[in-house]
Amino acid sequence: MTEGDYRHVYVVIEHEEGTILQVSLEMLGEARRILDDFNKKYSSKEKVVAVLLGYNIKDIPKTLIQHGADAVICADNPELRYIRNTIYTKTISQIASDRDIAAKIEPEYAVQFKRPRYMFFAADSIGRHLSATVLAHLESGLASDINKLVVGDLQITHQNKTGGKPLTYEKTLEMYRPDFSGFLWTTILCLDNKNPAMPKDYHPQACSIIPGVFEIIQPDPNRDGKIIEYTPKFDEQDLKVKIIDRKIIKSEIDFDSHKTIVSFGRGVKDSPEQNIKLIEQLAAELDAQIGITLPLSKRPFSVSQTVDSTYLIPDRVIGTSGRKVNPKLYIAVGISGAMQHIAGMKESEIIVAINPDENALIKDECDVFIKGRMEDVIPVLIEEIQKQKQVVQA
Amino acid sequence: MDQINTAVIVKLEPDFSEGNVSYNPDGTLNRAETKNILGPHSAIAVSAAFYAKVKYGAKISIGTMGPPVAESMLQHAQLMSDADELCLYSDRIFAGADTLATAEVLKSGVQKMEGKMDIVFSGHRASDGETGQTGPQTAWKLGMTFLGHVIDYEINLENRTVRAKRLVRMQGVYDVVEEIEAPLPVFIAIDPSYKPKFNTVSQRLDYEKYQKEAGDRAQNFKQYLKVFNAAQIEADPKLIGISGSPTIVYKVERIPKGKATRQAEIIDGSNQEQIRKVVARLLQSLSTVMIK
Repeated sequence: MTEGDYRHVYVVIEHEEGTILQVSLEMLGEARRILDDFNKKYSSKEKVVAVLLGYNIKDIPKTLIQHGADAVICADNPELRYIRNTIYTKTISQIASDRDIAAKIEPEYAVQFKRPRYMFFAADSIGRHLSATVLAHLESGLASDINKLVVGDLQITHQNKTGGKPLTYEKTLEMYRPDFSGFLWTTILCLDNKNPAMPKDYHPQACSIIPGVFEIIQPDPNRDGKIIEYTPKFDEQDLKVKIIDRKIIKSEIDFDSHKTIVSFGRGVKDSPEQNIKLIEQLAAELDAQIGITLPLSKRPFSVSQTVDSTYLIPDRVIGTSGRKVNPKLYIAVGISGAMQHIAGMKESEIIVAINPDENALIKDECDVFIKGRMEDVIPVLIEEIQKQKQVVQA
Repeated sequence: MDQINTAVIVKLEPDFSEGNVSYNPDGTLNRAETKNILGPHSAIAVSAAFYAKVKYGAKISIGTMGPPVAESMLQHAQLMSDADELCLYSDRIFAGADTLATAEVLKSGVQKMEGKMDIVFSGHRASDGETGQTGPQTAWKLGMTFLGHVIDYEINLENRTVRAKRLVRMQGVYDVVEEIEAPLPVFIAIDPSYKPKFNTVSQRLDYEKYQKEAGDRAQNFKQYLKVFNAAQIEADPKLIGISGSPTIVYKVERIPKGKATRQAEIIDGSNQEQIRKVVARLLQSLSTVMIK
């Protein structure tokens, strides 16, 4: 690998009919912060490059530049109006390997350019799959569901990557991913094979980024950036995949029109059926919608069919794998406070937690912490709510 | 009309159900104490293949990369689906694979299954790894059209096409159900909300027939089981296991407790007076909805 082979951060933008998804701007913000530090530290001039696919998208590049992009590669074509995995994967992969584009971004490295150095996707319905297929096509590494990124020069000793010898990997992206429990952080690296027995370059170093984690930068209307048009090359065969119909739907579980949300987690485990019934009553008193944490959607309890199919369903999950909510009042019952859940409810106005364990992480994320077992606390709460509502109505 | 061949790729995962799962005192999974089962999303993918068997008389092959003990999971999957072929890809050199290297093994494995596949199914994501990458990467390596988040599908046997409904969540905008038509072969990652429906009498009769057959077959599952090592699936040694993995796990640490984002008032749950005050405060803040 020589200087110039791998340059820039390519950020794959998502939008729906021209409305940019928040996470795309968050990724641009993080890419901007990372590259500003990077360029200072390494006296370099690498760029934040937004990759934008769609149809009739002329207005978007300007917004992306204001939010931190130095360049926007724009593939505007009727076939790209909606996302179809195959043609999107091929178009993005073409863009990532295209020297003519690289020349427009930065003429001095036009000849050497092979691939982007880093590549960011959103860890959502679209980006998770797209990142997987693009990186399978580019034959490089991908870390999913990242919530922290650091660039460093790392000393690595690895049987396979370095043949057991210590070697320095410069400008390496440390990709932090919280595990399913929310307690552990795993740092993933995508490393070239420098083992002389089987050398191989693995670039870009790519990841998908959890929505709602990184901050959007203040848009600057005076920021300058290049807009680069790209004409994709399609295979006839790939266009046989046809979108017949698209229906916008509302989830059957409506969180937005309720001022209160009551959610529960694994803390119901001692007697799940009865506890969920109690939570149901509390929610009814407050005209609240009911949410759950991700582990509950994996149906860990044996409960009645009705409770199971009403409550332990993916549609009710609040958090990074579900919905993001911001009610006036959020009551977290038996929820420990894993980061994935917090990300989905932290914007709530008032947060109340009911939990017997004062060391639970949720304590630092709530306004009122009611210490006690839900079996004991909820009946008292219900009784008080009923009493006080009567007073008000009288 | 030719036979429809389906494959399902499944994964052996920790059993997260209460009573079976074991956690360490620090909240992390105790892998030694937790037994392993057919992952819940894998099970949904198996049920999607069974739908094709009942409705279209499809042949089902089930494959997994895993240790020898994974054969009992394949038995379970056969019991659910009346699978015609069970394939276990097991080799020490597969160990330490990241998603790309795992996808390479599964690709090579699927290519060794009986017949040319029309549909390959996978689950949405594993409940332990949770990357959701292995399915789409296997699809890409197989050169199949990838359809993710599929909540419903039908096959048109005449045209050899599939029509699928996909649930796509546009976070912060809205959700979309998209109907898509694609020529076979396709790779389908099934959404967790998928439920097969058997509407006609003949479908329900076939359902029972295949279920009964599944019970018989699963009792003798070893007759259907084929175990392959790396050489037998002709996997390229440079592309599998640790050697074929672009990524490494650099470190694992406890997520440090962040700064408290809110200053919680701590209430004793057994103190009625304190609860009364909290309720008063909450109701007041909700007053616009509570007072009608």
